[in-house]
Amino acid sequence: MNNLIKLELARALRNRKFLFFSVIYPSVLFLLISSTSGATTKVDGTGLTLPTYMMVSMASFGALTAVLMGNSERIAKERENGWVRQLRLTTLPGRGYVLAKTAAAAVVSLPSIVVVFVCAAVLKDVRLDAWQWGALTAAIWAGSLVFAALGVAIGYLADGDAVRPITMITYFGLSILGGLWWPTATFPAWLRDIAEWVPTHAYAALGQAIEQSQAPHARDIAVLVAFFALFTGGAAWLYRKDTLKA
Amino acid sequence: MTVMTTQTAPVVDFDQVSRNFGNVRAVDGLTLSLRPGETVALLGPNGAGKSTTLDLLLGLKQPDSGAVRVFGGTAREAIVAGRVGAMLQSGGLMDEVTVAELVGLACALHPRPYKASDVMARAGIAQIASRKVNKLSGGQAQRVRFALATAGDSDLIVLDEPTTGMDVTARQSFWATMREQADQGRTVLFATHYLEEADAIADRVLVLHRGRLLADGTAAEIKARAGARRISFDLEGETDERALRELPFLTALTVSRNDSAAGSGHTVRIQSADADATVHALYGLGLYPRNLEVAGLGLEQAFVAITAAEEAKTK
Repeated sequence: MNNLIKLELARALRNRKFLFFSVIYPSVLFLLISSTSGATTKVDGTGLTLPTYMMVSMASFGALTAVLMGNSERIAKERENGWVRQLRLTTLPGRGYVLAKTAAAAVVSLPSIVVVFVCAAVLKDVRLDAWQWGALTAAIWAGSLVFAALGVAIGYLADGDAVRPITMITYFGLSILGGLWWPTATFPAWLRDIAEWVPTHAYAALGQAIEQSQAPHARDIAVLVAFFALFTGGAAWLYRKDTLKA
Repeated sequence: MTVMTTQTAPVVDFDQVSRNFGNVRAVDGLTLSLRPGETVALLGPNGAGKSTTLDLLLGLKQPDSGAVRVFGGTAREAIVAGRVGAMLQSGGLMDEVTVAELVGLACALHPRPYKASDVMARAGIAQIASRKVNKLSGGQAQRVRFALATAGDSDLIVLDEPTTGMDVTARQSFWATMREQADQGRTVLFATHYLEEADAIADRVLVLHRGRLLADGTAAEIKARAGARRISFDLEGETDERALRELPFLTALTVSRNDSAAGSGHTVRIQSADADATVHALYGLGLYPRNLEVAGLGLEQAFVAITAAEEAKTK
């Protein structure tokens, strides 16, 4: 299986479009958004400056892009063209395919997190303790598994032409509703109530709690765990259905 | 149940296997068994159930009823043990990687792999090793699929319509490659609707039609089953067609006028289930056939005859 991970990774790193959207794009977006106000403007209710706040949002966004896009479209396409069937004729265990995809996506998501952090520290003077940088990286990286599972589920749910629009709607829906692009504090109250339960909001909130030197909120963790269970359960069910059908 | 030794255990064993898709019975009570070292063609028109049969064999589909055994166990067990290499008609390839990388992966996944460079050389893709998989022609992609199926020391090679998308030359060199596999003592099973391939390559031909096994024998036997020799000759002067029609073992007769410089005459074409007896009786009529030719009926015609007979029976 390591060989498949290696090959998936080589392929991901060769794909410039994918790298641009998952590694460069979030950093560019971060620089644009954090430049819209003074470095000292605080985001309501957090005590964090806008660059500090948005750094976590955009790192989360980058990781989301890498794992969601990396999984869903490829899986749908490779189910359709028969590569998944061909792999079933090898010694690779049934779940090896999905695990290799997810592992490769996770490797790509790490630079998308780190590049945002470097931009924030170097260009926007974001200063945190060493433990916070480490904890942030670990939390955002680990949290991205929730969305990797979602990507797998979408890849097994949708076929060919449908997968891209479904992925895009999910992707933008999660990014905007979860407050990755604008702080949810700027949302109207009713939308803020919805956003509280969106997994990407809980995901970014993990990192923002670390920035405030707090332990992550129990509710955010609960939301992430619940969605992780939902997405992996859904992915496993769809995977089994697909295997029987093929 | 008796314990079978490895020598005599069938490579593949189908026992009353059926599989439906909705109302369509794709495979219908199929019973067959493949012996070690055979090269077997699974022959049938599109929709005969060939691909479904191979999917059932490889464990990609489960039968609705009946049992499929591969080397005495499940298909998955045989695959994990590295005993089966397969090339699917619908088998896609991973794109955006090179041919060499993909073959390398197949070798890495096989318990008894060959060297990737050897596998590529044998499959005739060494010169395109650094090309991206998504930039290949149909025939090249088929060769890459073949390389994936032969990446290691497997005992059974299963190929579903392997020469699809190849031109005649590519097809011939492909079959030469495949014969090497058979010569190494492997069992080879391939599905095809190129009838000449089954005739030229297989020791044994299984004719599949509407999910049922219609015939199982050597290509020669299958031809014989369809009344399968063609006799043609010229006769000078008037021809007594009624006497010709009385010839033994005759299954078809056509007489056409054939006027040449030598004078008026006819060309007679006969299909016979026993050419020797028919020709003997022909001389017995006191005729002097000129340009006598006796030839085997192509498997194509034999196949048409067998399936036509089957369809007549079911009507």
